[in-house]
Amino acid sequence: MTTSRDISFHLNGVSTERSVNVRKTLADFLREDCGATGTHLGCEHGVCGACTILHNGEPVRSCLMLAVQADGTELTTIEGLSPQGELGAIPRAMKSNYAFQCGFCTPGFLISIAALLQDGNRPDERSIREVLSGNICRCTGYESIVNGVIAVVAETEASES
Amino acid sequence: MKPPPFEYLVPETLEETLEALDGADDDVKLLAGGQSFLPLLSLRLARPSLLVDINQISELSWLRVGENQVEIGAMTRESALEHSQELRAAAPLIAEAMPLIGHVAIRTRGTLGGSMAHADPAAELPAVAIALDATFSMRSKARGERTLGAQDFFQGYFTTALESDEVLTSIRFPRIKPGAGHAIAEVARRHGDFAMAGTAASVTIHDDIITEASLALFSMAEFPLRAETAETALVGSAPSSKLFAEVADLATRDLDPPEDLHASANYRRTIGATCVRRSLELAVKRAKGRA
Amino acid sequence: MTTVPTQRFVGTSVPRAEDDRILSGTATYVDDLQLPGMLHAVFFRSPLAHANILQIDVSEARSLPGVHAVLTGIDIEALLNPEAGSPGIWMSENVQFPVIAITRVRFVGDLIAVVVAESRYLAEDAAELIEVDYEPLQVIVDAATALDPSSEPIFEDLGCNLAAEPTCNTHGDLEAVFAKADRIFSTEIKQHRHQNVPMECRGCVADFDPVSGRLTHHGSNQGVGRSKTTLAEQLGLEADQVRVLCNDIGGSFGLKIGASREEIAVAAISRHLGHPIKWTEDRSEHMTASGHAREETLEVDAAITEEGHVLGMKVRMVCDTGSYPALGRHLGAIVERMFPGPYNIEALQFEYVPVVTNKAPYIAYRGPWAAETFTRERVLDLVANELDIDPVEIRFRNLRSHREAPGQMVTGRTLASCTARESLEALLNEVDFDSFRSEQDAARAEGRYIGIGVATYIEAAPGPRNDVDLGDETLRVRLEEDGTVSVFTSQMPHGQGHETTFAQIAADEMGVDFSQVRVVVGDSDLVPHGGTGGSRAAAMAGGATLHAARNLAERTREIAAELLEASSSDIELSEGTARVRGVPASAIQLAEVAKASLSDTPAESQSHSLEIEENYKGGQGGWSGGTHCALVEVDVETGQVRIDRYVVIEDCGTLINPAIVDGQIRGGIAQGIGAVLLEHSAYDPDGNFLASTFMDYLLPSTTEVPRMEIQHLESIPNDPDVNFRGVGEGGMIVAPPTLVNAIEDALTPYNVMITEQHLPPQRIMELLQGMQPSSK
Repeated sequence: MTTSRDISFHLNGVSTERSVNVRKTLADFLREDCGATGTHLGCEHGVCGACTILHNGEPVRSCLMLAVQADGTELTTIEGLSPQGELGAIPRAMKSNYAFQCGFCTPGFLISIAALLQDGNRPDERSIREVLSGNICRCTGYESIVNGVIAVVAETEASES
Repeated sequence: MKPPPFEYLVPETLEETLEALDGADDDVKLLAGGQSFLPLLSLRLARPSLLVDINQISELSWLRVGENQVEIGAMTRESALEHSQELRAAAPLIAEAMPLIGHVAIRTRGTLGGSMAHADPAAELPAVAIALDATFSMRSKARGERTLGAQDFFQGYFTTALESDEVLTSIRFPRIKPGAGHAIAEVARRHGDFAMAGTAASVTIHDDIITEASLALFSMAEFPLRAETAETALVGSAPSSKLFAEVADLATRDLDPPEDLHASANYRRTIGATCVRRSLELAVKRAKGRA
Repeated sequence: MTTVPTQRFVGTSVPRAEDDRILSGTATYVDDLQLPGMLHAVFFRSPLAHANILQIDVSEARSLPGVHAVLTGIDIEALLNPEAGSPGIWMSENVQFPVIAITRVRFVGDLIAVVVAESRYLAEDAAELIEVDYEPLQVIVDAATALDPSSEPIFEDLGCNLAAEPTCNTHGDLEAVFAKADRIFSTEIKQHRHQNVPMECRGCVADFDPVSGRLTHHGSNQGVGRSKTTLAEQLGLEADQVRVLCNDIGGSFGLKIGASREEIAVAAISRHLGHPIKWTEDRSEHMTASGHAREETLEVDAAITEEGHVLGMKVRMVCDTGSYPALGRHLGAIVERMFPGPYNIEALQFEYVPVVTNKAPYIAYRGPWAAETFTRERVLDLVANELDIDPVEIRFRNLRSHREAPGQMVTGRTLASCTARESLEALLNEVDFDSFRSEQDAARAEGRYIGIGVATYIEAAPGPRNDVDLGDETLRVRLEEDGTVSVFTSQMPHGQGHETTFAQIAADEMGVDFSQVRVVVGDSDLVPHGGTGGSRAAAMAGGATLHAARNLAERTREIAAELLEASSSDIELSEGTARVRGVPASAIQLAEVAKASLSDTPAESQSHSLEIEENYKGGQGGWSGGTHCALVEVDVETGQVRIDRYVVIEDCGTLINPAIVDGQIRGGIAQGIGAVLLEHSAYDPDGNFLASTFMDYLLPSTTEVPRMEIQHLESIPNDPDVNFRGVGEGGMIVAPPTLVNAIEDALTPYNVMITEQHLPPQRIMELLQGMQPSSK
């Protein structure tokens, strides 16, 4: 009864084709079928945000999408933010600010931050906290993460002036 | 938990969708944004035999702002509505609801129609529809299109008037008029959580007298309730804190709200009244600004 | 001569070694592992809180395509060592129970069967086809029912629902102390059930190799050694036939200690089926079954004077330890010994009653004994209110100072170099209480309710040397052929940055760059026995690293001295070289020294070995501690609480990496905020668990956790070398009373007396309901 479908999409800029079971979630598909284990499952209820990825440039919970819904889309995961293992600007700022501890929530945070700072957006601390309230961390108490985001915004402002 | 097995269809047109639903069993489900449905699927609380994914139907995703009304396709994403300046000007109550709905990633996928059809009694959008007397359009292959007022659309706990062979196609809201003010006040455990109580309010003021009032209370019953007695008490009166407090009491004292881990009936009534009061204060303030 | 090196890395916030892989998405957590031929295990769990299992029918489940096996409790028992004791790391000799339930289930989520299939999806399909006939038994979900002798014993072995014989110990002259008191203040303090909730649930991949007869167990755990011991015992294997590997871990906070029942079953199944088997717990299972903590009630009678001196206390602690034996049975002894804290309490009577109920087992959660701080700090405020004394003042009247002669708690723990009092003094420099009181009056006039709360505490991190067996910390360091330094530790970092902190210490001792030190963790073939817990890492493993590395440096200098034809006291280690002091041209690479030691004659090789094992006994140990202060506003129309300011004065001795220390403090406080305002592992009267999803169990987010001002006291060195002390648990221990004290202070006009820890909005409204504010 359960069927499979062929899908093709871009994962972190790389054209990818797969055959996938229709009931498989996008998160599981990325982790098991695409070797992209950087995206993590913290709850599978859509609440914790650890599974957040970019879907056509917008943040989505990959645990709340089916893999088949990736067909024809551009997906970005945490690996895509640091191509060839070279830390991108956002991860670098997070490292300088000791943002994370155990790292399990990190993929969702980095993607949410990337989405937040798109289009030259320069949120203040209040906005940063509001937007990132959709990502749960159990280790840090968030201050170091917020500091990292503020640092990225400041860097962007400095480089533009 | 992982979803149980199901058959899967991705129609590209509304017609294809209606065809698939026509004469089908009750366990055929539409998949819209999936933000409410996927958790149910993963927890195996929902077990559709066939899932019809309507995310590819572009004809259901649109926004039309007219002179007197705002019409929105059912599959329009919440994030699109959140960022529409046009919508914000024409129907601020809808725009105000958006940031209260979950978080950014939820709103990227979540749809207006999906939220309405899911009919969570704690959700903001159904309350907005009730407050503004929105009109719902739905279509089936067998019976064609029909429309229903919001109060007829929401029928019970997670239950609407949508038949199993129908697709909700669009929702029409009246455009905000001069002298009117919209406001939502809710009490949630954390930012983005479902409200434990809330009110969506629309108030019109002329010459310092309330001429129209609409109060939709959510999370207080099986579906959002219009507080009609309270509305009657407001119309013809001059706004004042004393009036708002009286009306808040009137609106909530006879309610028998549901109980759950977060809120008892008693607590819900208490904060329900607070939400009525706060939403009125804000709506009146905004109405005066739009005089 | 022991050379003490210049500190270049210790004390600085060196960027973390862990971060590159975490931030690039290349860290490896146990669910990331895919092994050839790997199958997936799903546990079928009890939907009932207490029942006898009459019959299990797995035939339909077994025949589903893609299913390799369905095993019941009897099947699993046959795969295990019959001589092994009951599973679990907390001593439970007197209670027998199987790894998977056979005749009885004891909490919702208890284990009944295991399905092994090609995917988790298929395994869940099969699990739904399992049919079980139950005979429901009396469900016991509260201490009173558990203590009722007519209640059904949840474990027949115990004959009742006491997890252990209640104890009652008296310290000091209780009678005399109570006789001289001006009055007795009585209250009952309640802590509610909540839980660890790391972002990564439990899981493992068990890989038994039939050819070698060896089990390789990939886990997510606070110590590979303990898992290895348990797995070897349960599977009837020799210790060297088991290798436990842990890679990156997504948090634990005390949960992931030792091999769980699920892991034992999975390991046995791997051997039985000849396939690697993966088990990944999902969040609903985790919330329901991984274990909970903190559910205890403390009845207190405090003997006090009119001036607010707390002379003595009688305490009766009842702990709801849930079902299967775990930490809860033993908690009382720890709480009792800590109970006087840094205060001048002259007598204590402590009774401990651990009860068994049909709930998930009581496991270790960051600062498991926290009830002592919550109770003591709450009682101080309540007494202060009763006697109309300022809460800060009452603490000064009762707190010891480190300037006094080294004292002892009446329970025997020494208080040498405890700076709790000094931390409260330091707080007064950061927070202007008088100014706040004026603000508070003004706010009240406007109908706004703000409050301030203070709490002081100490934590044994690891605690003073001379009154407790800290256990040894074994650690190895080695100078490699390429000149890098390897540190082999039993510590298992799961967010605390051990790979960074120990490298800092070793780098300083050996004169190498931080990047030249590799901290090896998570392989039971390579690392010493032990594990992380009890805030021991900084002091014990930090100390072991320091001494081992210092000895390695000494040995290195000796060999270099031979090569350079100088005296070893003239050799210095610097910039990855060894050189004669004052003669830079003499420098040779450490790699050369390492190679030279390898080519020694056998007679020389032992004394020249550049691998040093250190068995560190803990130095002088010491306390960490401090004072926290919260400023809050309570919305009396909704019961919601906002934290406006949070100040921390902390003393954890020498900081190895300040950024990491601050991170630990903030994380602990966030959990404390969660405990008070949001988190509750709730059950209904039928033992159904009500908080199995993140919609019901609410965790604090960016909008609930404020910025925190943290100040570190320069501590009094207790030990000539090792003055790093742990800090991992303190935030979580002292934040709850700090917040509750602030909330009660805010609501003073309503005359609300708070004796519980969980204060969601509804509860605050209930406390306020019907109470009009007085004009006081």
